[in-house]
Amino acid sequence: MLEISDIRKTFNPGTPNEVRALQGVDLTINDGSFVIVIGTNGSGKSTLLNAVAGTFLVDSGTILLAGHDVTRWPEHRRATLIGRVFQNPFSGTAPHMSIAENLALAARRGHRRGLGWALQRNFSGEMQKRVYRLGMGLENRLENAIGSLSGGQRQALTLLMATWLKPKMLLLDEHTAALDPKSADQVIRVSEEVIARDQLTTLMVTHSMQQAVNLGDRLIMMHQGRIIHDLQGAEKRRLRVDDLLARFEEIRRGDLLDETAAQMLRRMYV
Amino acid sequence: MTLLIGAWTIGLILSLLALGVFISFRIFDFPDITTEGSITTGAAIAATLLVQDVDPVLATFAGFCGGLLAGAVTGILHTKFNIHGLLAGILVMTALYSVNLHIMGKSNVPLLSAMTLSTYAEQIGTNVLGGAMNVSLGGWEVSTRDAAVLFLSFLIIALVGGVLYVFFRTNLGTAMRATGDNDQMIRALGVNVGNMIILGLALANGLIALAGALLAQYQGFADAQMGIGMVVWGLASVIIGEALIGTQSLGLTITGAVMGSVLFRLLVAIALRAGLDPNDLKLITAVFVFFALILPNLLSNLKKRSGSASHA
Repeated sequence: MLEISDIRKTFNPGTPNEVRALQGVDLTINDGSFVIVIGTNGSGKSTLLNAVAGTFLVDSGTILLAGHDVTRWPEHRRATLIGRVFQNPFSGTAPHMSIAENLALAARRGHRRGLGWALQRNFSGEMQKRVYRLGMGLENRLENAIGSLSGGQRQALTLLMATWLKPKMLLLDEHTAALDPKSADQVIRVSEEVIARDQLTTLMVTHSMQQAVNLGDRLIMMHQGRIIHDLQGAEKRRLRVDDLLARFEEIRRGDLLDETAAQMLRRMYV
Repeated sequence: MTLLIGAWTIGLILSLLALGVFISFRIFDFPDITTEGSITTGAAIAATLLVQDVDPVLATFAGFCGGLLAGAVTGILHTKFNIHGLLAGILVMTALYSVNLHIMGKSNVPLLSAMTLSTYAEQIGTNVLGGAMNVSLGGWEVSTRDAAVLFLSFLIIALVGGVLYVFFRTNLGTAMRATGDNDQMIRALGVNVGNMIILGLALANGLIALAGALLAQYQGFADAQMGIGMVVWGLASVIIGEALIGTQSLGLTITGAVMGSVLFRLLVAIALRAGLDPNDLKLITAVFVFFALILPNLLSNLKKRSGSASHA
């Protein structure tokens, strides 16, 4: 279970480039829940994911994951609990190493890495079986360097690596945004399969309204570093793309009023 | 012939330097200048211990450990104190100059009467050959000492290269290679990237110091100045190796670095024999590495230009 309480993060504080990326986010995600995060550009949705992953430490607030207070844990330590797929297909794999070596690295996520042989012979059967399930024909190319594969193939492998050892939390950061539509569909299908099969607690950021509607059992919408909508259960199931677009339109109209005008209106009418 | 045997031996010994440079520059993409100090540190520690009649194997190993330490310090300066990699290496290299002088107590330690790995090899060689002073190597008469030292160097390099190959295929070694290949990915898989860099630089400089320890025993002295230009020398070896047999696999790259080092030393020996001024050696080495670095870009630019010309 993930429990985020009142986390805040300001980048470049006290400079002209100051960005208040997270302004008090509270979020509790139950085990096995698949949560979609959407929001406008700069709304803080990727920042939220990175805060959980530990790419940076938050200014205040706490993050509890699977019973551990991970707020001050460095990124590599949180990786014992978290599997991640990045937006950039090049980020999740080591290009000059073989598929097999990359998988062997993933199979020891969060474990001590000693002087045991990385590519155990009895490991290759398991590897072939799991790579076969991706349905990309990569199971016979385990010795090939990852750099020779397409973005979609690399993203599918990254997903396989992130979930090789069942993570307490799976973080997907717009992981199909950089792919062509066909590869994106493939990667989404593989993601759905693995999340459903292993009942993974998942936090997925997406730009695609279609994905936001079709996937997951809960949806949160972020704006200006805060969660402004949180839809779950029947409300989430009923959700259509048009409803989401309407909510974005609402935000856009809200933004047309500048901050001082908004304050004045609030004083007068609220 | 003695000249060629000597070049072979030094080439083999310095291939340890090439392997160290390969680890820092190629695997970690880290421009580690510590090399110039750590090779001398290895030589200084080994030589100082040898004149005190310490066992040569132990003295050589101590030299290796000195390099480990030097590399670890550079790694710590870089990862824990966020000092730029190049600057961290320069700081440690500069500090090592004084450290090396302290270890040796003077700027040069001769090993004329000391028992070294070279004298070891000579004794064993003489015993094996029944006391012959010369041995026929492919039709050439060479002294037993030279042949034995060459053979021993070859054994050591084969052993170190083999161990390195095995190490880079273990869980730890694979994680180390992945750290250089994609640090964001390996961090997401739970590896402390800073510690990996410290460990990798320690290993690299350990090998480089080992090269220094062996070189001192072969040439019969350790000198405070012997590290100058060694980074470029190692880089040249690695580049020649890559050009010779490519980088398709780990085994090939390691073999390539060793072959590159030997070939480079042979070329230098031949050039010196042909009348090259030894003072120009480092200038020529630097120019060589410069061209090796820009050549791939230059060639692809030429190709592009000729390609667009044919379209016009």
